[in-house]
Amino acid sequence: MEAPPLTSAVDPASAAFERNAASHEKLVAELRDRLATARLGGPERARTRHTDRGKLLPRDRVDSLVDPSSPFLELSPLAASGMYGADGTDAPGAGIITGVGRVAGRECVIVANDATVKGGTYYPMTVKKHLRAQEVALHNHLPCIYLVDSGGAFLPEQDDVFPDREHFGRIFFNQATMSSRGIPQVAAVLGSCTAGGAYVPAMSDQAVIVRNQGTIFLGGPPLVKAATGEEVTAEELGGGDLHSRISGVTDHLADDDAHALQIVRSIVSTLGPRTPVPWEVAPAQQPAVDEKQLYGAVPTDSRTSYDVREVIARVVDGSVFAEFKAEYGPTLVTGFARIHGHPVGILANNGVLFSESAMKGAHFIELCDQRSIPLVYLQNITGFMVGREYEAGGIAKHGAKLVTATACARVPKFTVVIGGSFGAGNYAMCGRAYSPRFLWMWPNARISVMGGEQAATVLSMVRRSGDGTAPVPSDDEFKAGIRDQYEHQGNPYYSTARLWDDGVIDPADTRTVLGLALGAAANAPLEPVRYGVFRM
Amino acid sequence: MFDTVLIANRGEIAVRVIRTLRSLGVRSVAVFSDADAGARHVAEADVAVHIGPTPANQSYLNVRAVLDAAVRTRAQAVHPGYGFLSENAEFARACAAAGLVFIGPPVAAIEAMGDKIRAKATVSAAGVPVVPGGGEPGLSDERLAEIARDIGFPVLLKPSAGGGGKGMRLVEADAQLRDAITGARREARGSFGDDTLLVERFVTDPRHIEIQVLADQHGTVLHLGERECSLQRRHQKIIEEAPSPLLTPAQRAAMGAAAVEAARAVDYTGAGTVEFIVNGSSTKGTADDSALEYFFMEMNTRLQVEHPVTEMVTGLDLVELQLRVAAGEKLSLTQDDIAVDGHAVEARIYAEDPARGFLPTGGRVLSLREPSGPGIRVDSALRPALEVGGAYDPMLAKVIAHGPDRETALRRLDGALVDTSILGVPTNVAFLRALLRHPAVAAGDLDTGLVERSLDVLVDDVIPEPVYAVAALQRVLALEPAGPIVDPWDLPGGWRLGEPAWSTWRFELSGHEPVDVRVRGRAGAAEVTVGGGDPVACALRSDNGIAGPELVLSYRGATQRYNTAGTDGLRWLGRRGRSWALAETGRLAAARTSAGGALGGELRSPMPGTVLAVSVAEGDTVVAGQPLLVIEAMKMEHTIAAPTDGVVSALAVREGQQVAVDQALATVSPVQSNDTAPEAAGEKS
Repeated sequence: MEAPPLTSAVDPASAAFERNAASHEKLVAELRDRLATARLGGPERARTRHTDRGKLLPRDRVDSLVDPSSPFLELSPLAASGMYGADGTDAPGAGIITGVGRVAGRECVIVANDATVKGGTYYPMTVKKHLRAQEVALHNHLPCIYLVDSGGAFLPEQDDVFPDREHFGRIFFNQATMSSRGIPQVAAVLGSCTAGGAYVPAMSDQAVIVRNQGTIFLGGPPLVKAATGEEVTAEELGGGDLHSRISGVTDHLADDDAHALQIVRSIVSTLGPRTPVPWEVAPAQQPAVDEKQLYGAVPTDSRTSYDVREVIARVVDGSVFAEFKAEYGPTLVTGFARIHGHPVGILANNGVLFSESAMKGAHFIELCDQRSIPLVYLQNITGFMVGREYEAGGIAKHGAKLVTATACARVPKFTVVIGGSFGAGNYAMCGRAYSPRFLWMWPNARISVMGGEQAATVLSMVRRSGDGTAPVPSDDEFKAGIRDQYEHQGNPYYSTARLWDDGVIDPADTRTVLGLALGAAANAPLEPVRYGVFRM
Repeated sequence: MFDTVLIANRGEIAVRVIRTLRSLGVRSVAVFSDADAGARHVAEADVAVHIGPTPANQSYLNVRAVLDAAVRTRAQAVHPGYGFLSENAEFARACAAAGLVFIGPPVAAIEAMGDKIRAKATVSAAGVPVVPGGGEPGLSDERLAEIARDIGFPVLLKPSAGGGGKGMRLVEADAQLRDAITGARREARGSFGDDTLLVERFVTDPRHIEIQVLADQHGTVLHLGERECSLQRRHQKIIEEAPSPLLTPAQRAAMGAAAVEAARAVDYTGAGTVEFIVNGSSTKGTADDSALEYFFMEMNTRLQVEHPVTEMVTGLDLVELQLRVAAGEKLSLTQDDIAVDGHAVEARIYAEDPARGFLPTGGRVLSLREPSGPGIRVDSALRPALEVGGAYDPMLAKVIAHGPDRETALRRLDGALVDTSILGVPTNVAFLRALLRHPAVAAGDLDTGLVERSLDVLVDDVIPEPVYAVAALQRVLALEPAGPIVDPWDLPGGWRLGEPAWSTWRFELSGHEPVDVRVRGRAGAAEVTVGGGDPVACALRSDNGIAGPELVLSYRGATQRYNTAGTDGLRWLGRRGRSWALAETGRLAAARTSAGGALGGELRSPMPGTVLAVSVAEGDTVVAGQPLLVIEAMKMEHTIAAPTDGVVSALAVREGQQVAVDQALATVSPVQSNDTAPEAAGEKS
């Protein structure tokens, strides 16, 4: 790519720099704390019981399965936080570890139940997280490895787990349809695999089971006794020997967790060829602008404006950015760059979206799509410009062009919410509903239909324009309540608990995360382009 | 002087003789067996002749093959080195018959000194003091025992035909006598083809001091001073020095004169060594030089392994002098010309494992660094890629240091051993260093039992933690991508959202439990835990050292350099004379627990050697501790016993077969009760 590298205008000696850095450091420290707590899994008693049985903890299983010392791009490690139990801590990570890891040299999606969390049973968020991992596998054409150790649905929440389209049954639908598309499905039964869960290994292309540890049955011993009076042990009913020697449900019999993981690695090493990378990858370069200054360069309060090129300069190879239409619609910065050698088209907000910025964005997306260049959205948007002049100028239809282009682009899209994500700006900048391959949030990000302040004002006005009865809480109290609600629900941890994103990331990890994701996304072939570029 | 000399030997001594031949402009002819086709003496000689298969009795001990080689290469003389045919009178005689000069003493002198009993009688008659003792061919075990009782315990049993300490047995009480005689006879018969034994009094505070003598065919007999070889283990010398820290000039002169008398008594010519046993306590508390008790032990009618220390302090080349004497030249030296300059110490590097009872080791030399520097000499058979097997003596090299005084020589030798790195073959270098630094050695307070008594402090089998750290970090370092980085998936370091992950590596050193080493981060900036210990900040980088690749470890802020070499799954690390072979077991493979339960076990050869006896057959029921087979290596017998009660379910070797170290020999399956056995057997996947 031929373009001059970006330079930084920030002054590391300034008070603002110091303030920004301190603020980011505090936010990242909180993120680390939350991640450290979540990675422990279930209560200590449950973990001890688990390891006393000779089983590896789920995170150790994942770490042992992936290539030594290789990265693991975990998905939503803070899922379900604050959602279940009296203090919201009943299901750390939603009781399941998911992510993209390299196994025998091949990027795979790994789904590992955490039996130390309520026996690995599926809460609603567990199901959502499992399905999201499968979606990542489907979109990026990544083999799936299921490390099964689960008691099935969490019965108290069965209405939000079992019946709907995106509920438990979808797991097996996905396995079948992915397999039909040539996406390998591999399961290792390292513990219980009861009832519906029994279909995970049964629906896999190849399955491993651990003797005297893994069990697969539709109804467990208590259910069998209740139904038919037959008394049978779990091992006799659905143990490794039975399924490997008699039923044939499993294909490989392992002695223990480590052996099973070794077999899984061996299976992955036999998978067919990978899809050729659909774009050209160049040798990577570190950014020319000091990455470490990212914290200081970017304010954490989304209301404070700054030049988003300060972020781009610290994320892209050599800080080289070939900007497109720099002088037109300047509130949306667009341009070509590389991240870890992968070509990318970057769309980054530098203020509110106007008609011009929206059209420019749509044009740029078409260019990237034509050229098979993945799109990276750096989202920090309060929304589209409002007002008579802008409505009259057709901002609705111009905005629609950007939304359409985003929705229809066939190249992989990656979204990082680096600040605000409000209103229709979320749509135009490839929010979750636009199926980016991955979507992450910085700890300072906020997401809601509008800002808390605007919502409070709007709702306060709506209330006053109502029946006019005396306000029970004062207007200030009312507004404060609304603001609190928006602050709470717009918080990235509220978002990530509900899987509105794939995780909250340390801003300093943005380049690494995007690089890993691009590498994963390069496994999926691209659809052919259907239209030429429409100039806006 | 000769034009062409054949060296009827191998190893470092052959290399050393070639060196002198070259300096004299004499064409050198090496001989070699199948096992030695790649040996250093073959590479360095002007001509090399293959003389037979690996077993020494078909090659280096095969008189006909050696003489054929000499005749074919038109050699005029044969240098026998030490060991093999060097003290074989028949060979000396055969040389003469073939018109070749045997570089050594006359046949009669070899024969006179080769028979230990006769030797003693001869020198005793010449006025040289001897140890009380007896024994002669054809004595019954009972008669031998009677002689032993007459002399008084402790006594030493020695094969009459032996040398170099092989096959000797110490008997401390009457009760052990019968078994010791039987064993010593068997070993003597096996090693030398002659089971005649000598018995003599055992000196309790013994020092081994020997005198180098040199005689020409014109009546000159000189002594070149003494060497002290008290640092021995099982009568194998380990460290030798000249002069002895014990002797005064007057005592040196007295012993030298006695040695000269011993040589004269057999009309000796060439280089020889008169070995004395010296009672170390005899001079304690007295200034009287004549209080020193020394007894003639034997005379070695050949060049000694430790001859370099004499060369270093006298400035003479003993091999050159041997050649000149053999060529009939008259020695131009007189006794007064022999001056001792400073001090020299030699350490013998053996392919043996002190931690496993000094069992011979073997392997391929993967990387080699030999020391050099002021006062340092190395006589070595080593070369890169050399295969060290179990067919011959396990001595690989000698490092000799010379200095103006004993302390300097010892320090230089230790420094030279620090600079010695032999990866691929376990050696005793670290043991040698420990011995050199032993307080009694530093003080010169030596005796022949010192090494055996001090083994606990000399044999350090503790693996330093940094060794494990280097091994694991080396693996992480190897994961660093070469060329320009394209894919962050290729970057090691265990990146995660939040804290990076630990990677676990498992290493096993022979004789040690496997150790898990955990690494977090990249090799250049990592945390490492060894065996569950606390994390230590480490960094590892590779560097090109003098002898190939080196690994530079930063550990707790200190920097250490390691030599490294490796084959599949086996990483060798060397540092300051020590070396370690770390087998990496795949963690996943290692974590597998055998579902079949305890399986008695497969028995493996502890060293390279020959199967001497097999006392069981497949299917035999055996009890724990029952001897199953006997492996012989380096004339030592090792009994392999059943580890558990059970049945010999596999027997992979037969008598006479050569085995490599760790080669499977037999499997003993434990006897199991009927209800569990079939299932356990059937389930092994």
